[in-house]
Amino acid sequence: MAKAKGYSDPKMEEKLKDRYYYREYSNPDFTKKVHDLARTVNHMCFQCGTCTGSCPSAPRSSYRIRLFMRRNVMGLEDESLTDPDLWLCTTCYCCTDRCPRDIAPTDVIMAMRNIAYQRGIVPVNFLKTVQAIYQSGHGVPNNDVNRAVRVRLGLAKDPPTTHSYPEFLPGIRQIIDHWHVKEKADKIVAEAEKHG
Amino acid sequence: MADTKSKVKETKAKVTDQKPRIGVFVCHCGTNIAGVVDVKAIIEYAKTVPNVVHAEDYQYVCSTPGQKKITDAIKEKNLTGTVVAACSPRLHEPTFRRATKEGGLNPFRFEMANIREQGTWVHMHDPAGATEKAKDAIRIAVAKASLLEDLTPKSVAVEHAAMVVGAGIAGMQAALDLANAGIKTYLVEKLPSIGGRMSQLDKTFPTLDCSQCILTPKMVDVGRAENIELLTYHEVDAVEGFIGNFDVTLRKKANGVLSMAEAEAKGISGGGCNGCGDCEPVCPVIKPNPFEMGMKPRKAIYIYHPQVVPLLYTIDFDSCIKCGLCVTACGEKKAIDLEMKDELRKVKVGTVVLALGYDMFPVENKREWGYKQFDNVVNSLELERLICASGPTAGHLIRPSDGQTPKRVAFVLCAGSRDNTGIGKPYCSRFCCMYSLKHAHQIIEKIPGVIPYIFYMDIRSFGKMYEEFYYRIQDEGAKFIRGRVANILEDPVTKNLHVYAEDTMLNRPIDLEVDMVVLAAAVQPAADTDRTRKLFGVSCSQDGWLLEAHPKLNPCGTTTAGVFVAGVCQGPKDIPDTVAQAEGAASAASIPIHIGKVELEPYFAQCIEEKCAGCGMCVNLCPYSALSLVDKEGGGKVMQVTEAKCKGCGTCGGFCPGGAIWMQHFATPQVIAQIDAFLLGGAK
Ligand code: SF4
Ligand code: SF4
Repeated sequence: MAKAKGYSDPKMEEKLKDRYYYREYSNPDFTKKVHDLARTVNHMCFQCGTCTGSCPSAPRSSYRIRLFMRRNVMGLEDESLTDPDLWLCTTCYCCTDRCPRDIAPTDVIMAMRNIAYQRGIVPVNFLKTVQAIYQSGHGVPNNDVNRAVRVRLGLAKDPPTTHSYPEFLPGIRQIIDHWHVKEKADKIVAEAEKHG
Repeated sequence: MADTKSKVKETKAKVTDQKPRIGVFVCHCGTNIAGVVDVKAIIEYAKTVPNVVHAEDYQYVCSTPGQKKITDAIKEKNLTGTVVAACSPRLHEPTFRRATKEGGLNPFRFEMANIREQGTWVHMHDPAGATEKAKDAIRIAVAKASLLEDLTPKSVAVEHAAMVVGAGIAGMQAALDLANAGIKTYLVEKLPSIGGRMSQLDKTFPTLDCSQCILTPKMVDVGRAENIELLTYHEVDAVEGFIGNFDVTLRKKANGVLSMAEAEAKGISGGGCNGCGDCEPVCPVIKPNPFEMGMKPRKAIYIYHPQVVPLLYTIDFDSCIKCGLCVTACGEKKAIDLEMKDELRKVKVGTVVLALGYDMFPVENKREWGYKQFDNVVNSLELERLICASGPTAGHLIRPSDGQTPKRVAFVLCAGSRDNTGIGKPYCSRFCCMYSLKHAHQIIEKIPGVIPYIFYMDIRSFGKMYEEFYYRIQDEGAKFIRGRVANILEDPVTKNLHVYAEDTMLNRPIDLEVDMVVLAAAVQPAADTDRTRKLFGVSCSQDGWLLEAHPKLNPCGTTTAGVFVAGVCQGPKDIPDTVAQAEGAASAASIPIHIGKVELEPYFAQCIEEKCAGCGMCVNLCPYSALSLVDKEGGGKVMQVTEAKCKGCGTCGGFCPGGAIWMQHFATPQVIAQIDAFLLGGAK
């Protein structure tokens, strides 16, 4: 495990911290768990980079799908789940289309997001989506700008969804409540807000 | 071959006249067997099996002292048969047969019980189960050994001639070696010229020898060799027979042109094709030349390139319109026969070398790289022609879209190799890394200021002086980018290409605009490989390459005795490895020919005459045409076996409604005894 250097200055301690990779960081059960959830051979990545080369997120962000695949091979659970880049995949499946090892990196990402959620590690903005769905039935609810455009296009101002049929909202909330999704989201958001 | 026809036999009711006395020898195989099963318990058990009069174990029964235990026991205990419980018969059956023979018994009085491959290796986590299974295997083997009879292998003469199929560098080398060893060799090639893929290459790595310059002398040698009969534009049509006596039917495809010898034979003295080429300019039909990867035209009457061997024009009858202009141009030589038809011919050879070569994988199947969609994406064989002085551009590399000289060229390695998607090939094509380095060198040499970008996953430079070549090319300025290419897009205006990948060393996606892209496409078995291998009864591995007899210890042999493999048809390999394997295959193929005879395992079917009703139904069932119906003395018909043709497959033996067929070494009573021993647990 990483050794503390014992500098009195915390900034110095952070700057010069032990960056070795230790065997203890690797959790083979994590690789297996992701494998079973994603149903793809996540341990077979040979780091060719076809995925990152195909990824629309990569040229616009720090997200590197290949890096997550490498962490999967090595079982680096904490490093994978705490990296906020985990949430930058658009789930477009371009990488899955092209991976020469026939791995589905997209499904690996989704499996890791599920595990991260179980451990309460989710960026707050994603959880706001949960709250939005709970309130309106939509991840991205309709708004006045949209309504105006719809009317201009000759459409009803609200689509034929929960916006037009609010009587279906309780059903949706029941599903969300059944899995305690909202409850958990609220808790994580509150926690995050408490810590600023 | 009257002596190989079986005399119709007497009833084999009595298999042995003596009471069987069997010796059992259990091998430890170090810890391979003894580390799993309880050898002592097995020995104690073996002693209780009916007919067993001797049982012992030893660390390595295949060793000299181990074999001596067998010979000694046979003499001391007056054994009638031996059983060794050890590995699979594949490797050591001959060893133990020899030991049995040295003990004074007929070698076919030996039976092997496989307790390693089918026992301790597969059940290594179940020692108790493996021990019980070993006991079963021994009991079953003893049951058979008790009923084994003396057999004598037949030997047949080997035809003093060989055939090599495919005249690329592998086939040429094999044919030259065989011919130089004094063996008449038929070299069969489906194309009009020998030379194969190597004749399409510009230079060879890592020495940068000009490919044609080192190849043409060999082509000329092949053309001149007295012992080689060159059969270009020929295909194998049918194969009969077995090692020593293959009867191969060849199809001489109609090429519409008489060679000088053929003309002479037809009484046209001084006629026949002398390669003058007078016919070619007058031919009105224009087709792409496949030798130039379709980048140069040829006529319906053509030669691929000026160095063809034999120098003989060929008419492509699929495109010939029979206008007859060439006939006129040829004039007095009377070489052209527009009505020529395919001819069949049979040759007899003792052994065969298959050197069937390879094709490029259709890399357009990987849609993301744009081959056949974008003008400036070529495959590496096309690049070879585009940089070759004798190629369509006289060696000036140009972009297909506009004829401009490219200044930035991307090379995509593993283009369809190491691909588990089901579209590409799962294997490494083995020579693309190195030829791509060579390509980088060649364009640097030809085009001032050019930058080759090599997209790779791993550079596999394993051969002699290969790593040094890699160093040299990097030093010359090639840029190596470690990342597999994700996709390629074309700028519709400039026809430049954008190569998208990740530079995995920089951990950054890359968008590289280049003038031209070369795909180092995977290789796959040549189109006709599957048909040809089936004719010779040769198996293939799951990727379609021909299966060698043993990947390490018998890399040139196949599962069919007398048929050998050389070159890429057995698996991707570069020129040095190809030539080495060709020499190995030629040497292996010459051995039976030099010995002059081969021994056949005596597992022939035999006819029990008094049971045979002469119905003849077995005759058509036999896959090897080994059976025939002959007149019986005193009227009627009876089946007769040509032993040299019989492979002992047992099809007839299992079928015969009257039980009149005796399969030597796998006779019905022997097999029944094995089944009984298994099912009845060897109860006395
Ligand atoms: S494309 Fe597949 S094999 Fe290549 S780095 Fe990505 S996940 Fe790994
Ligand atoms: S699925 Fe995700 S990781 Fe894969 S290419 Fe699309 S955005 Fe990138």
